[in-house]
Parts: sequence; C-alpha cells; structure tokens
Amino acid sequence: MSSITAPSPAVDPTGPLPPASRSRRRTELIMLVFAFALVAFALANVGFTLKGGLPAGAALYLAVYLAIVLLAHLAVRRFAPWADPLLLPLAALLNGLGIVMMDRLSAQANPARGVPAISASQANLQIAFSAIGIGCFVAVLVLIREPRVLQRYTYTLGAVGILLFALPALLPASISEVNGARIQIRFGSFTTIQPEEFAKLALAAAFAGYLVAKRDVLALAGRRVLGLDLPRARDLGPILLAWVASLLLLIFESDIGTSAVFMGLFVAMLYIATSRTSWLLIGFIMFVVGAFAASKLVGHVGERFDIWLHPFTLANVQGNSYQLVQGLYGMGSGGLLGKGLGGGQPYITPLVQSDLVFSAFGEEIGLAGVMAILLIYGLIVQRGLRAAISVKDPFSKLLAGGLSFMLALQVFVIVGGVTRLIPLTGITTPFLSQGGSSLVGSWILIALLVRVSDTARRPPPRPIQEEGLTQVVTLN
Amino acid sequence: MNRALRRISIAVLVMFVLLLVNVNYLQGFDTASLASKPGNSRAFYAAQNQYQRGSIVTSDGKVIAASRLSSGNDSIKYQRYYPSGPEYAPVTGYYTIFGATGIEAAKNSLLSGNDSSLDVRKIIDLITGKTTKGATVQVTVNSKAQDAAWNALKALGKPGAVVALNPKTGAVLAMASYPSFDPNVLAIHDGAKLNKIDNKLLKDPAQPLLNRALQGTYPPGSTFKIVTSSALLTQSPSTTINTNVASPTTLTLPQTQHILHNDQGEACGDGSGQAPLITAFAQSCDTTFAKIGIQVGANALNDMAEQFGMNNPDLTIPLPVAQSNYVIPASQALTAYTAIGQQNDTVTPLQEAMFAAAVANGGTLMKPDLVQQVTASDLSTVQGMSPSVLRHSISSSVSDSMKQMMLAVVQQPEGTAYAFRQDVTGVEIAGKTGTAETGAVSLNDAAFTSFAPFANPNIAVGVIIQGGGYGASAAAPIAVQVIKAYQRAVGNQ
Repeated sequence: MSSITAPSPAVDPTGPLPPASRSRRRTELIMLVFAFALVAFALANVGFTLKGGLPAGAALYLAVYLAIVLLAHLAVRRFAPWADPLLLPLAALLNGLGIVMMDRLSAQANPARGVPAISASQANLQIAFSAIGIGCFVAVLVLIREPRVLQRYTYTLGAVGILLFALPALLPASISEVNGARIQIRFGSFTTIQPEEFAKLALAAAFAGYLVAKRDVLALAGRRVLGLDLPRARDLGPILLAWVASLLLLIFESDIGTSAVFMGLFVAMLYIATSRTSWLLIGFIMFVVGAFAASKLVGHVGERFDIWLHPFTLANVQGNSYQLVQGLYGMGSGGLLGKGLGGGQPYITPLVQSDLVFSAFGEEIGLAGVMAILLIYGLIVQRGLRAAISVKDPFSKLLAGGLSFMLALQVFVIVGGVTRLIPLTGITTPFLSQGGSSLVGSWILIALLVRVSDTARRPPPRPIQEEGLTQVVTLN
Repeated sequence: MNRALRRISIAVLVMFVLLLVNVNYLQGFDTASLASKPGNSRAFYAAQNQYQRGSIVTSDGKVIAASRLSSGNDSIKYQRYYPSGPEYAPVTGYYTIFGATGIEAAKNSLLSGNDSSLDVRKIIDLITGKTTKGATVQVTVNSKAQDAAWNALKALGKPGAVVALNPKTGAVLAMASYPSFDPNVLAIHDGAKLNKIDNKLLKDPAQPLLNRALQGTYPPGSTFKIVTSSALLTQSPSTTINTNVASPTTLTLPQTQHILHNDQGEACGDGSGQAPLITAFAQSCDTTFAKIGIQVGANALNDMAEQFGMNNPDLTIPLPVAQSNYVIPASQALTAYTAIGQQNDTVTPLQEAMFAAAVANGGTLMKPDLVQQVTASDLSTVQGMSPSVLRHSISSSVSDSMKQMMLAVVQQPEGTAYAFRQDVTGVEIAGKTGTAETGAVSLNDAAFTSFAPFANPNIAVGVIIQGGGYGASAAAPIAVQVIKAYQRAVGNQ
C-alpha cells in the first residue's frame, strides 16, 4: 500500500485562500453590532412608551448584553474561527428581543389584577440566564473541538437523555406539575428546571451516534411491500422505543408539544441517515395513532383539539381557550405594524411571558415584526442545514441536520399553535420565552451548529512541502 | 445523506411558509373579525382608558348607565355603573371585558366615542382643548312606566316580561324582564373574577341573563284570537262584530275524535250554539275561534300573523328580537289549535305589545324602537328618532272592530278582564287575555295584551308571565299598573 500522493493541484499553497474559505469573523462582528443596536433601540422604545424616558436599568441591561455577546464573539474567533458568521448574531438578536420583551412585560401590570405577567426580578433573571446560556455556548466550543467526539458517548448521552425526560414524570406532582403538564423540577419556590430542554439535545446526539453506526442495516435490510421498503422488525427497535418514550411523555407528563418535537426529530434523523421514505411514513403514522389514542385517553390532550377547532364558542372563550383567543386577539389588535413596544396590552393574555410570547410580539411589533422574527428563525435553520450538507463527517451531518430540524419543528409547533395553525401545546419559543432552561438549551444548540459549521467551512489542511514523496499535514 | 438533507430543507421551507401565510392571514386579513369576537377585552380596556363613555338616559332624563373615574388602585381609568341595575338591565344590557349586550352593544361605537359620525366633533375638541367624551344615548323608556312594570313583576315573583309601546311611534315605553341581573357585578375589571360571576349567572336555572322581553318566546294563548278575528274580518267584509258565529259548547275537531272544550267546559254566549263575534271574543270561547280558524284556513292565519309582525327573523329595535312564530300546521285539527294560540305558536312579550299597538294605531304597526336620540358631548344631536311603519296590519275599519272587541274584554260583564274596568280612573282600557296550556292550570303561561286610553291610545302593553296561571289574574294586573303609571306621568290622571 502506498502512502505516496501527489499534492492536489486544486490547492495552491502559495496563493490566497479561495473566497469560500474566508473566516468571515468581521462580518459576524458587524452583524452583532447591528443586533445590539436593534436591541438597544427596542429597549429604549419600551422605556419611552411606558415611562416617557429611558428606563433606569437600561444602561446596565445593555452593558451586560453587549459584554456577553462580545464574549461569545471572541470565543468563536478563538475556538471556531471558520464558523458560519450568521448563527451567533441571529441567535443574539432573538435573545436580546426576548430580554426586551421580559423587561416590557415586567414593567406594566395587568390592570385587572394589579400585577405584571412577570416580576422585575424574573425579568432580570432572564439576562442572567442569557449570560449562563452564552457561558454554556463558550464551554461547548471549548470542550468540543470536533463534533465527532460526541459519537464516543452515544449510549451515555442516550441514557442521560431518557433519564432527563423521565425525571418529572417520576417525581411527585407537587414539584413537577405546572398547568396540567408535568415537565419541570421545582427547587424551592422560585427556580425551576425543565430537563426536557437538555434531554432533547442529549438524545439528538445519541440518535446521531446510533444511526451512523446502524444506518446501513436500517437502509438496506428489509422487504419491499407495496412499493415501500419496510425495515426488518429488529431494526424497528429504536423507532419503537422512541415512539413509546414519546407516548409515555404524552400520558405521564401531558406534554404533547415536546413529544411531537421529539418524535419529529427522531424520524427526521432516521430519514437523513437512511434516505428511506418509508421511515417518514412509518413515523408519521405512529405519531398520528399515538396522538389520536392520547386524545381519547388523556383529557388534557382531547381538550387541546377542542380548543383548536372551536376556540370562539362562548363556553371556550371564557374557559379552556381563553389563553389562545386572548393571544389571537392581541395579534389581531397589532395588525400590520403593531401597537409599538409598550403600546399594546399583552398582559391580558395568560402565560404571555412563556408559551404565548410570540403573540406579544405580534401585538406590539405587528405582522412586519413577527415576519422578521420568523425569517430569523428560518435563517438559523437554513444556516444549520447548510452546515450539515457541507460537512463531510456523517455524524456531524446527522447532528447538525437533526438539531436544525428540531429547532424548525419547535418553532413550527409553538408559533403554529399560538396562531391556530395547529393545536396549541405548551412548549417554549426558543430564545424568546421566559425561562433559563430553554435559553441555555437553545444556546447549546447554537454552539453545536457553530461547531459543525466551523468543521464544515474549515479549509483543507495545507501541505507544508511543495514537493516530495510524503505529504505531511498539520492536524488541528 | 445530502439528498435527504435537501428534502428536509424543503420540508422546513414549507413549514415556515405555512407560518408566514398564517400570520399574514391573522394580522393582515382577520383583524376586524378578531376584534368583534366574544371575550375580546382589548377593545374594552382601550376604550375604558381612552374617553369617558357616554351615558344612557331615559326619555324623562333618568340616568340608567354612566361612566365615572375608577377608584382605588384600579389602573383602568373609567368604571361603568348602572344606578338601577336589574330594573333596566334588559334595556342597557351590560358592558364588560367579555363583550356587551343591550344598548351598550347596539350603540357601542357612539357611546365609546369612536363612531365616525363623531370625528368632526373630536377635531373641534382637540382644537378647543375640551376632553372628548362618548355620546349620550337617550332611550324612549319612561321611568315611571318602567318602575311600575319592574315593581309589579318583582312583587309577583314569577318569571316573565313586560313591554310597553307607544302605538303611534313604536317607541318602547317600558321593557322589564324578571328575574333580572345587576350589570354592575359584570362591569368589574378583573377578568378572572368576572369569569366566575358570569359562569354562575349562565348556570343559574332562573336564567337571569335572558332578556325575556325580546328573547323569550312563549305560547300566546287566546291573545292570538286578535289575529284570528282580524283574519276573519279581513276575509269576509260582511262580517261585523255583532254577526252571530257558531259557538258550540264542545267541538269535535275535523278528521279526529278529539273534542275541544271551552275553559272549564262552560257554554259560549247564551248556550244556543250561536253567539255574536264580540261576545265570543270577550268571553274568549275556544270553540268559536277554533272553528273560525278552520274556516279562514291556515294560510290566512299565517298571512295575518305576519302582518302583525310575526315570522320576522330580522327585527332589531336596535336590540335583536327573537322571531315570533306561526307555523302552518299539517291538518285542520291542528289549524284549530293554532287559531287559539296553541300548538307551535310562540311570541315574545314585545310581539304581545305589537298586537295591541297595531290595533290601537288604526291598523298600522309602527316599528318598535328603543332609541330616542343620540347627543354628542356638546349636546348636538347625532341621531334622532324617525318613526317608521313596520306593517299595515289591518284596515282601519277592521281595526275599529278589533278595538271594540278588545274594549268588550275589559268593559263588558262577560269579558275575561272585566275585573279591571275601573282600575284606572277615567281611562278606558282595552285588551285581550291569554292563558296558554302548558300542563296543569297553575303552570299555564299567562298573557295579556292591551292598550289605553280607548279613545286616543298612547300606550300598548304586552305581558307574559311563565307559570302565571290565568292571563286575567297574573298578567292583566301588571299591564294595568303600567298603564296607570304612564297615564299619571303624561298627565292623563
């Protein structure tokens, strides 16, 4: 076997790098400054509308925000210099808008109840969680230099993920139930953690590892029935497991939204790994069957469908669909351009700070604003999928593809729910909702996409010898 | 894998396109429809914070709904209040976070000050520095007549309603419904608390939120004989009130074995089997009018019922009014029942008043209207009342005959309401009683339709009492009190 290769003629070691290989860090910085300016403007807007001047804490808010965003930028420069330049600014902009909305919601009381949707200290926590989130973002970049290293921990991550998912169901309802769903762990009276936000990430990585190892059997073995390539029964094991897990989620935690995201993630990753359409069909049918069964068995789920189909009946308006229709009314009152930040009445909608935060944006920055927000999400997903397509390593491909799709699905499920495209289920809106777990989880997701995009865009190693029989390459 | 990833990208694109299309629909096209959906409190809060909402006053100047500055730590600027809550609830309706009813709903844009007809005045307010206020709505209700109606209903304590009309203009002089509710308890600004109160009211078996005067429909019983008589007199001009008509003590209905009796099985007139029409009407013989119904036919009854305003789903005063029904029956036997106000005949208390109003006004039925005028905060009139004809129910000669017959009900010894002939000194009352069988006598619905003074009618009153028993004993006394109060108010007594 010969290890002798000629230097590739495509790479001219002395010439400039091809344009695709520019690191684009300056672009990222400019975009970050732009994001910061938008956030600063939005915060000032809230202050002038509600209090007639800049809010007292605005300078501190913005200083902390600027500091953490710059820290993230520096970390990318140092640890992922070839990363996609759009991912960080887009995420930072959404995070900043979320902070502004929390500040806005805490600054105005619901006139009927005399208290705001969230307290000022909870709004302040949002920026603290942003700092923690960006800390985790940096930590992921530092600790995981190559996405592939995660493949080593496939089963560990899988076990951790399932444990995190199951935890709230196993714990007594007194510390895990909120609004009829058991999705959180409460510490004391104030702090709660929603383990599912991290479970999803761990399981995405575990799926990627498992599927890379098994994708050939999954793709090739099996029989053809009615034009569909059906997999072997034993290979169905993992999808059955995922199905059962998501059903259990539904039944024990009454969390249809997360179970949909989870199921969708797994089916999409199976499809990416095997390119077999039959997986999509099987997964879809299983989810529909599961959801239908759950809607009959679990009252909470059946009620969600009723609210979706008949939200405006008098009984529903004053009862079960109150939250949904108030969100819709808010968006309706916002119209094309919105009431302006601080000018609407988002405080009327229950849980406007978490599940219904999208409707608050709809009310205050209007159709124009929410379309911009949707496009930002779309861009993040698109950049993630682009990284998945261009990266060579199959594990990284699967991981980035799966995570991007999961983000898209989560946005679809919650925004679609809030706008009555699909039944409303309580999951968080990435970066915008109140809550530390979601924010930290979202930043870890972005960090993983940044890492994969860095691997994908990193230029091929440059030969250090122009001539000779053996080519020595540097591995970083 | 890349092919699959590209397909996933397309799926993601489709998802985002769906979301974008949907928000465009919601916020671009659906805003007006969302704004008018039930429970949309945003408009309520915005309105309560923007201008002082206009008052609702009666025709004689009594304030029945007004807005004042909120007290305490309520951060909504204005609080709606109703000085005589339950009495006027059928008129004012309520104005709450979850929506509005009554005049509050029908004249919402004027009361809130956001109607386009107030735009010029708002600009003037802006220039002169005056605070913009909502317009004041004056209703046609007379507070004396309303007091009498409400107090009589309350004293009786049975579910029912009273409507009084001015037969010449259609103006609603009184509109009361019992049991009622206090709109003040619904005017609070706490949505959660309101929800609880509202649910309690909605579930209350007494149905206090139901405005029986306009939305309750009940069998008219013998008051429907006004329609049957009018149909006969219109169809055969040779018939007069003194024409003898067949009035058997019992009547076997065509094609059945069923035998119809008069009330208590009594004979009609002198028991000869023939009686003058006016006597049969005053005595309210069921057999006579069942026979007349068969004679004129269901189609003629239907036409005449419609001439009196029934079968009209679109009547608004401007509050929506439930349809009063005459359904053409399948057989002659059933036609006989419809002719005496049984079977599927149902009427609102407003319709009861309309029967008498049409007769009293020479056969012309004026469109009932609750709004007298709307005045802007600078006291200029924005909307006035223009009486309009709803139907030419009967000719003036038929109307003269009907008047005579209704007078006989109260003024002749055989009349079912003879007991009330002298209740209002110097004022002759004419009317028709109705007792609709719903089972046992004590559970029958009592109805009375009347007008006064006979010579120059200025009020027509319709009363229906659920489970009141005989029309003469439960419904007529209430109508008489309303007539009395109104005659005193207009100086006829």
